[in-house]
Amino acid sequence: MSQPILETKNLSKAFGGLIAVDKVDLTIDTGKITAIIGPNGAGKTTLFNLIAGVYQQTAGEILFNGKSLKHSLWYARAIKPGLNKKIFKDKLQRHASAHMRASLGIARTFQHVHLFGNMTVLENIMTGQHTRSKYGFFAAALRLPKSRREEETITLNAMKYLNMVGLGRYAQQNALSLPLGQQKLLAIARALATEPKLILLDEPGAGLNALEKRELSDLMKRIREMGVTVVLVEHDMPLVMGIAEWIIVLDSGQKIAEGTAAQVQKDRKVIAAYLGEEME
Amino acid sequence: MMLSWAKKRWSYFAVAAFIVFLALIPFKWFLGQYTSIMIFIGISTMITVGLCLLMGYTGQVSLGQAAFYGLGAYFSAILSKTYGVNPWLAMLIAAIATGAFAYIIGYPIFRLRGNYLAMATLGIGLIMWVLFNQLRQYTGGPDGISGIPYLSIGGFAFDTPFKRFYLVWFFCLAILFLSQNIVRSRTGRALRAIHGNEAAAESLGINVTQFKVKIFVLSSVYASLAGSLFAHHLRHVSPQPFDFLGSVKLVVMAVIGGLASIWGAIFGAGTTRFLSDEILLGFDQYPQLDIIIYGLILMLVMIFMPEGLFVAIRTGTMWLKVNWRNLPSIMKTKREEFPGRIKNFFERLHLTRLWRKSEP
Repeated sequence: MSQPILETKNLSKAFGGLIAVDKVDLTIDTGKITAIIGPNGAGKTTLFNLIAGVYQQTAGEILFNGKSLKHSLWYARAIKPGLNKKIFKDKLQRHASAHMRASLGIARTFQHVHLFGNMTVLENIMTGQHTRSKYGFFAAALRLPKSRREEETITLNAMKYLNMVGLGRYAQQNALSLPLGQQKLLAIARALATEPKLILLDEPGAGLNALEKRELSDLMKRIREMGVTVVLVEHDMPLVMGIAEWIIVLDSGQKIAEGTAAQVQKDRKVIAAYLGEEME
Repeated sequence: MMLSWAKKRWSYFAVAAFIVFLALIPFKWFLGQYTSIMIFIGISTMITVGLCLLMGYTGQVSLGQAAFYGLGAYFSAILSKTYGVNPWLAMLIAAIATGAFAYIIGYPIFRLRGNYLAMATLGIGLIMWVLFNQLRQYTGGPDGISGIPYLSIGGFAFDTPFKRFYLVWFFCLAILFLSQNIVRSRTGRALRAIHGNEAAAESLGINVTQFKVKIFVLSSVYASLAGSLFAHHLRHVSPQPFDFLGSVKLVVMAVIGGLASIWGAIFGAGTTRFLSDEILLGFDQYPQLDIIIYGLILMLVMIFMPEGLFVAIRTGTMWLKVNWRNLPSIMKTKREEFPGRIKNFFERLHLTRLWRKSEP
C-alpha cells in the first residue's frame, strides 16, 4: 500500500461559535477517485477550503504526501500564545496560503465556475501554468529569450490540456461565451494546467445535463489515468456511485461513514442523515 | 502570438508609421507649434500607462497617482538644484525612492479593496500635496523650486523644447513597449486573472497581494520618471499640478484612452492635455470650469464607451469597413428611428409626464 496523498488529523474549523468541520480524520489514497458527500451544510466546501488553504484550520493538521501543511508563524502564535519561534521554525513550512499550496500540487475548482471573463479560453488555461513557469517582470518587459521559450512551452501545454477536455477549437473565444457545461470542463482544464498531484473538484456535475455528466465522468477517469488523485464533492448520487472508488460521508461537520459505494449505501447512519430517520 | 503574419506585419507598419509621424512633429514646417504640448502629452502618457496597468489590467483603483508624479518631480528638483547631484543620478534616485515608498505603503494598502482602496490612495495623494506645500525648507512651499538644471549627456544639453521632445518621447515609447510586453506575458495574465477573480487566481498559485504591490510599485516608478522629466523640462516645480485635481485628470486620461489598452494611453493623455492646455485656457474667467468638464467627460465615457476612446474608434472603423456600402440606407433608417429614440430616452428619464402636461 502506497502512502496516502492527503491525510487530515483531527481537523476542525469554527466560524465564531459555529463548528463547520469537527475533528475530521480523512485518508485520501494516491491515484484513486474519492468522493465526499453529505447533506447541505455538512461542511464539505469548508473542508475543501481548508485543504486548499483558503481558510486556516482552528485545530488539527493536514498532511500532504506525509508532510504537514503548517500555517504561518503569526497565526500559530495567535492561537497558541507564547509559542517559541525556534521550536516552530524546524516545523515551519511555507505552505500556508492558497497560492503556495497550488505550487505544491493541490489544485481545485469552484462551485461557481470562477473563470476569468476578461480572457480567452486559451489564456485561462495558460494562467493555470503560472506556477510551472518562472520568468518575471524583467524578462517579460524585455522579452528575453528565456521568456519566449517559456511562453512557447506554456502555449503548447495549454493546448494539450485544452484538447484533453475537447475544447481545442474554442481556444480564441472569450471564456464566458461558452455554455455552462463547457465552462465547467474549462475550469477543470485550468486546474489541471497547474500540473497537480491532487485535484479537488467542487460540485463538478452541478447544472450539467446527462450527456455532459457522462463526459465529465470520462474526463475524471482520464485524469486518474494521468496519475492525479481526484477528490470530488458532489450531490448527484448516480454520478458519485458510478465513478468514486471510495466515498466519505460528512454530516454536520463530522465524518459519519466511509467505504465503497455499496458499503456506504447500506450504512444506517448515512441513510439516517439523508432521509432524516430517527436513530434508536 | 496567435496573430497571423500579415496582421502582425500590418501592426508593425502602423507602429513604425506612428513613430515617424511623431519624430517629425517638432519641425517648424510640420507641427512645430505643438512641440511643447506634445512634451506634456508624452509625460502624461507615461503616468497613464502605469494607471492602465494598475486599474485596467489589475483592477485596482488609485486616486493618488499625482503623489508619485510629484515625488519624482520634487526628488529630482531638490537633489539636482539644492544638492547639485547629477540630474540623471537624481532621476534614478527619485525613481528608486518613489518605488520604495510605494512598496512600503503597498502592503498595508492592498489589504483594502474597491472603494476603500480608492479612499486610501486618495488620502495618500492629499497627504503628499500637503507635504509639498508645508515642507518649506526643502520644497519652497507654494512657490516651489526654480532654476532646476537641464538634463544633459556629455556636453549635449537638452536645453530647447525641440531636443526635450525627443528625450521625453524616447522614455515614453520605451515605457509603452515595455508595458505592452508585460501585458502579453505570464505576468500580464496573472494581473488580468487578479482582475477577473481573486479567489481563482489564488487557487492557481498566483500570489495576489505580491502582484498588486509589484504593479503598484511599477506604476509609481513610471509616474516618478514622468515627474523627473517634468521638473527638468519646466525647470520649475510647484505643488499645483500634484493636487487632487491632478490625480483626477490622470484617471480621466486613463479612462478616455481605455483602461485596458496600453496604446490608448496616448489618446487619453493627448485629448485631455489638449483640452486643458489649448481649449480651456481660453476660458480664464471661469476658473473651475475644467473640473466640471472632466467630471462630464468621465461620466459620458463611462456610460457610452466604457472601453475608452481608442477601442471605440477602432470598433467604429471596423463597423464602417463592414457597412460602408449600406451607409445611406442605414442613415435613412436611423433618421426615421430618431424621434422614437428621443421619446424613449425621455421615457427612461421618467420625464414623459412633464412632456404630456404641456400638450393640450
